[in-house]
Amino acid sequence: MKEPAISIKTYTWTFLALLALALATTLIGFLDLGPFSMVIAVTIATAKAILIAFFFMHALYESKVIRVILAGGIIWFLIMVSLTLGDYMTRGWVLNLGGK
Amino acid sequence: MSEPATLELREQFATPEQQRETASIGMWVFLITEVMLFGGLFTAFTVYRLSHPMAFDAGSAHMEFLLGGINTAVLICSSYTMALAIHSAATGKEQRVVLFLLATMVIGAVFLGIKFTEYYLHFQDHKAPALWFDYSGPQAPYVQMFFVFYFLMTGLHALHMTVGIGILSVLLFRTLLGSFSAEYYTPLELGGLYWHFIDIVWVFLYAIFYIPGLHVR
Repeated sequence: MKEPAISIKTYTWTFLALLALALATTLIGFLDLGPFSMVIAVTIATAKAILIAFFFMHALYESKVIRVILAGGIIWFLIMVSLTLGDYMTRGWVLNLGGK
Repeated sequence: MSEPATLELREQFATPEQQRETASIGMWVFLITEVMLFGGLFTAFTVYRLSHPMAFDAGSAHMEFLLGGINTAVLICSSYTMALAIHSAATGKEQRVVLFLLATMVIGAVFLGIKFTEYYLHFQDHKAPALWFDYSGPQAPYVQMFFVFYFLMTGLHALHMTVGIGILSVLLFRTLLGSFSAEYYTPLELGGLYWHFIDIVWVFLYAIFYIPGLHVR
């Protein structure tokens, strides 16, 4: 029988890190940081997602094919967000140009 | 369908490792389609939030922060027990697999219970968009829009949790039947991937719905 790629110790550290990050994001949430509130919250959430994917979902230990699929999905998601925002956030500019 | 308790190798695969990886790739591709499903909603939320940041902060101030925070911890716990279930399967400790699967399902049910308590409190607070929505502050329609996103996205997440508990109960049943061993436990692994994915979705839901309202409250 081959040893599992990840030990219980690693799972436990991942678990504790996730709880710590959840606590951190909640505590930081009480501060008024203006628009940065959301930026920090999403950054911490991304860190938590990476921990879950890498260790709980074994993404770090999977074959290259699976890592390419994962990267492809994330890149496509970012394309969707950035093109959509590129449209909505610049609509005012176009109106200003064509306005007066 | 009868399944040998030992390793399964179907004829189209050269090695058990290849068979396992093929199944795993299928699950990852499915999860990417789920990323796109939730991603569309996250994109729409971002567009609305950037257009009406004040209204969305005001809506966020009405979240049940304590329950939401507890639920975040609860879901992290369930991911941990799920990971331990897979680890037990890989080391051939079937009794512990049963134990950890049961724990994961119970913790998942606790999450759903807390979530529906939150929904109940929002209804009492008259924050059910279109049905019963009272809000006297400025930009009320956009505050209502925040709640539309809130109910839609957490509702879709809760639906995934329900399906997840269903999947786990099938896996539990098959574990009890002795379908898995240290050599073959691919279905458990795939069920685990799904469960962890739901956890990732919640991590982002917590960040966008609850956190911004904390300082506004």
